[in-house]
Amino acid sequence: MEYASEQRDREDTIRLRGRLTFNDHAKLRALIGEMKLNKGQRQILDLSSLEFVDSAGIGMLLIAREEIVATDKTLVLRGAVGQVKRVLTVAQIGKLIPIED
Amino acid sequence: MARRTPSPRTRFTALRGLAIDDERLARCAAWLGLPPGCGQPNDTGNGRKRPGSTLALLDGPQGAEDSAAWLPPVAAWIEPKTDSDAQPLLAAQTERAGAVDLYINLTTETANDLHLAGRVLTALAARHPLPPDRREDLELALHEAISNALVHGNLEVAGMKELSAAELERFSRDLVRQMANPALAQRRLEVAVTLEPSALAVEVADEGGGFQPTRTDCHGASGRGLDLIATVADSVELRDGGRRIRMRFSL
Repeated sequence: MEYASEQRDREDTIRLRGRLTFNDHAKLRALIGEMKLNKGQRQILDLSSLEFVDSAGIGMLLIAREEIVATDKTLVLRGAVGQVKRVLTVAQIGKLIPIED
Repeated sequence: MARRTPSPRTRFTALRGLAIDDERLARCAAWLGLPPGCGQPNDTGNGRKRPGSTLALLDGPQGAEDSAAWLPPVAAWIEPKTDSDAQPLLAAQTERAGAVDLYINLTTETANDLHLAGRVLTALAARHPLPPDRREDLELALHEAISNALVHGNLEVAGMKELSAAELERFSRDLVRQMANPALAQRRLEVAVTLEPSALAVEVADEGGGFQPTRTDCHGASGRGLDLIATVADSVELRDGGRRIRMRFSL
């Protein structure tokens, strides 16, 4: 998985690309660290270029949510398609993290 | 004494080395009584294809990173051991490979480097047409079974129980440390696939300590893998104390 950040107004958008699996533990640690330091009130993970996510990837997104909320910011998952969208739905992640199209 | 000789599902007629040393390939070929190849399809040289399937031998992920290595006629991918018991083990693995349609037996390290579930789907899709959505769902189920076997089975790394960056850090550190331990990284992962006209049976086995699923497994950041498999598979069965998972999917 690769990611790139963009800041605008009161939002930070981080676009994830590729595959998010248990092997991406080090990248997720770095990403969570960056999001905690970001200024924007809303931390948006743009998933439109993410091709595949596994159960550990979902777990790491839930950890990201806990850490972001602890800094009084909001985490949003945006634009998931295909397999990623199906897994988010099946795992009922929308109950825990706001999901936008 | 009469010896039972079950007719195999897959008959191997050629060996292909994927970045394996020529000398080792020749030795394995002699053990198995198969002609050694060097990575080319089963071409007899006169334009005719040899009937039967090819057994690919690996030595690490090199040579198996090309998707052509996962296409017919290759039907089995085995990373032979180098110990003194290499010959009987390879013979036993080849016999198991003959009983199914696709067979893989690799070290934990190699299986992880190759992102194995995607490779299995390449091999499967070449034998049975799969709509893109179904292919992605099958890849997820296989990936979950394989990563459970690698991470929690062979590497004995506990799942992320709490939703915290500290727990992610612990998981990350444990995974790197355990993968650097040769005794664990050399443990085997076995995948056996049987393809029926309208169904698919997949077994994934590891050499870890096994496990008992409990109702509380789905708390925290881990424990969703088996649930995800269950949403894709028609049936899921754990055997051998949790070291072996058998999944059935309709096609």
